[in-house]
Amino acid sequence: MSCSPFDLRDYYFKELAENERRLTEVHVKTCTHCREELDRLRGTETALLTLPDEEIPQRIGFVSDPVFEPSAFRRGWDALWGSAARLSFASAAMLSIALMVFALTRPTPQISAPAPAIDRTALAADFSRRVNEAVQKAVVESEARQARQTQDLLAASEKRHELETQAMMVRVQEYLEVEKKRLNTLILASNDAGSPNGEAR
Amino acid sequence: MILRAVEDADLIRKARRGDVEAYNLLISRWERRVYNYLLRIVVNREDALDLSQDVFLKAYQNLRKLDDPARFAPWLYRIAHNEAYSLFRKRRPQGETEELQPETMEGEATPGGNAVFPIELTLAVSSALGKLTADQRETVILKIYQGFKFEEIAEIVAAPVSTVKSRLYTALDLLKAELAPVKARGVS
Repeated sequence: MSCSPFDLRDYYFKELAENERRLTEVHVKTCTHCREELDRLRGTETALLTLPDEEIPQRIGFVSDPVFEPSAFRRGWDALWGSAARLSFASAAMLSIALMVFALTRPTPQISAPAPAIDRTALAADFSRRVNEAVQKAVVESEARQARQTQDLLAASEKRHELETQAMMVRVQEYLEVEKKRLNTLILASNDAGSPNGEAR
Repeated sequence: MILRAVEDADLIRKARRGDVEAYNLLISRWERRVYNYLLRIVVNREDALDLSQDVFLKAYQNLRKLDDPARFAPWLYRIAHNEAYSLFRKRRPQGETEELQPETMEGEATPGGNAVFPIELTLAVSSALGKLTADQRETVILKIYQGFKFEEIAEIVAAPVSTVKSRLYTALDLLKAELAPVKARGVS
């Protein structure tokens, strides 16, 4: 049973309030029993800390992982502009809207004389051809841009992987050398302990 | 420590705005600690690595729910705690009512491996930790190896501070008794 004014274990783990800590500290200075109890706690903690942390066998990284895109809005936006088909659709839709707005807002010409006959079929065909050309051009550009981005990402990823592999190999080499030295030390110590007169060889 | 806390908070703010690289930097600061926490709980390297990845994935997905970036560490460990116990529940046979225990199998990880001397004490510590209940062991890991305050541990394991203290002090008494013979043989 501890005679400390406050829990000695709380004191050891620095979990006491400042005034409580000071009172306990004063008590511990004059109490052999409590000092021995603190020594036992320290001994147990020191033994536990002989277990070192291990290195994580594989680094964790989430670069370019689609699941990490930040928000639903951002994901929707990227999905819209990240797809060639959707980009083409959006381009065609915007072009159609622009043409409709232009047609609706165009001022009506004053007719002072009979207008010349307009070949509406040819006009429609020409309009359709232009729209198709614009859409095809947008699709080609989008695909080329995506291919470039993919190649850049692949190159960067391969380079990083190569650097990480090299770094890991260096660490493994260093680790093996340390282990080898430790093993040699153990063997020497074992030989010393096994010799009949205990003399070092 | 204060500077580091500010830097983490800054990274969290950037990650919340969609900066994945900032989050990766945050991961690089915490992945080793989280991995070792999980390794000592589940005692299996493969499970610990898988769980670590899940923890950082869930943390990123829920980063906006973190009210105070200064409380990132206990918040992150709360996720890790939930992931570990979720794994225990999945692997526990139906109807079993015994306390949750980590997987024990051939080739299991001895935390620390054979990388330190004296090996006898390392093995004794590993064995003694294995004799604690899952709750006691986790409390020891969070306090001794991860250095959390009682209040933070209470937040991580969702238990009152008094329960956390009770678990830790009972566990330390058991560990002291388990390790006494080894220490008495002069291994230190």
